[in-house]
Amino acid sequence: MLDGLERVLDELVQLAPGLDAPDVGTDAIVVERLAKTYADGTDAVRRVTFRVAAGECFGLLGPNGAGKSTTVGMLGTLVRPTSGLASVAGFDVVAQPREVRRRIGFAMQEVGVDAFATARELLVLQGRLHGLRRADSAHRAELLLAMVDLSAVAGKRLGEFSGGMQRRVDLAAALMHLPAVLFLDEPTEGLDPRARVAIWDALERLRTQLGVTIVLTTHYMDEADRLCDRLGIIDRGSIVAEGTPAELKATVGGDTLEHVYLHYTGHTFAPTDGALVALETAA
Amino acid sequence: MSVLLLARRTIVQFPRNPILLGFSFAPVLMMFLVFGALFEGVTRLPGFPTDNYFEYLAPTAILLTTVPGIGNAAVALASDFQSRYVYKLLSAPISIGSIVLGRLLGDGVRLCAQAVAVLLLAIALGAHVETGIPGAALMILLGTLLGIVTFGVLTANLALRTKDAAAVQAILPMAYLLIFLTSAYQQPEQIDSPVMRIIVDANPAEHVLRPMRELMLSGYDWPHVGIAAAVILALGLIGIPFTVRNYRSVYR
Repeated sequence: MLDGLERVLDELVQLAPGLDAPDVGTDAIVVERLAKTYADGTDAVRRVTFRVAAGECFGLLGPNGAGKSTTVGMLGTLVRPTSGLASVAGFDVVAQPREVRRRIGFAMQEVGVDAFATARELLVLQGRLHGLRRADSAHRAELLLAMVDLSAVAGKRLGEFSGGMQRRVDLAAALMHLPAVLFLDEPTEGLDPRARVAIWDALERLRTQLGVTIVLTTHYMDEADRLCDRLGIIDRGSIVAEGTPAELKATVGGDTLEHVYLHYTGHTFAPTDGALVALETAA
Repeated sequence: MSVLLLARRTIVQFPRNPILLGFSFAPVLMMFLVFGALFEGVTRLPGFPTDNYFEYLAPTAILLTTVPGIGNAAVALASDFQSRYVYKLLSAPISIGSIVLGRLLGDGVRLCAQAVAVLLLAIALGAHVETGIPGAALMILLGTLLGIVTFGVLTANLALRTKDAAAVQAILPMAYLLIFLTSAYQQPEQIDSPVMRIIVDANPAEHVLRPMRELMLSGYDWPHVGIAAAVILALGLIGIPFTVRNYRSVYR
């Protein structure tokens, strides 16, 4: 997988002037007391505050329903904050959503693809919607399809793709306009280990070679450990710990992020004896 | 620009769903085959405006193509919500308005092409368009615009509100009611009843069908064309605030 990645990334680097990235050393993302309460009264995110420096990879870890996706949804302008402030690449997510969207790529937790389009068509359209000329969009689509190892099936309809292949197309679509900031909501969920490692390679190189700022949510501790410069542990809508993986591990006295995660979220998924007995009886 | 790109996507997408393509023609073909055989004799009644029944049916057949057919735009929009693809589109610097307009425009173009096919079928069955190609184009334009501002806007709002293709599909049969309650399906004696007259007169489809039928059978009746245009414009203006309000529900 990802044959010719070096060549593809080299070509992408040549296109980097379109990146419009914030200067290294500045904050690409500023979040202050950001909160979201849904119409049903659920407090999904409670006054969250954090900053992400330009070129940094920041990970949000937390259990299901902790508020990770809502947080990146607000930063990606798809979810309206109830209160607080957030800016991405220097633009306010509520007051200047279009400016934000010009500078971000977004690969969502639930992959969104058009089943009737081919992989190539979907990417070209995404590039065109970001203002790329047809020829540029077509060229970039070919590069990114090569990057996610889907050149051979570029002309096939996405409805025929497996979930993992769709996820790779979705990721490529998020990169079409070479965004300055990339939001990845569980980007390797459902991918086989080989594809996961390949995606990690691509993300690391995009970051180091293009200076892309990445915010990712994940359940995979190894993914967070490998990719993220800093992590925020989010639980019940609040950030309960923040730091580099090494700092967080040192704080809890553990040697893996699993220790950190369980320490701060306090959640284990151990069924009670009673539940096990009931299951055995039912079986 | 984004509206045109998304309209193109709609046009490219439609032929890739052969079932949808086939069944979108089914009601019209059945109308021609069944009604054409059953009621051909009415052309011999005194005062019937033409001696070719398909000539009389053609404007109604166009409405049967455009009004229910535009519902597919909303079904596809709702499907984009269910597949989450709409949020991928919204991660680009475009508005939900562009997505809805792109859908309606793309399906509008597709319905114009389908209406041309229906008219060609009627011509193959012996019908003749009194006002020629310009009149035929105006007839198809009126029929398509009526579909967009009535059922298109209604179902697009339903799609925005529910984000559920099944909910939108459930309302599609209502489109036929709009057409059945016109003078195309009501006998003159029924229309003489005050209640039916009020219903038919209040039906916007009747005010568009009337000039379409005249374009087909007798010639240009500009006052009636003007009324049809005014009805379409008024319905469009009524639909816009509702649609804008429902846009907001997209951003949770």
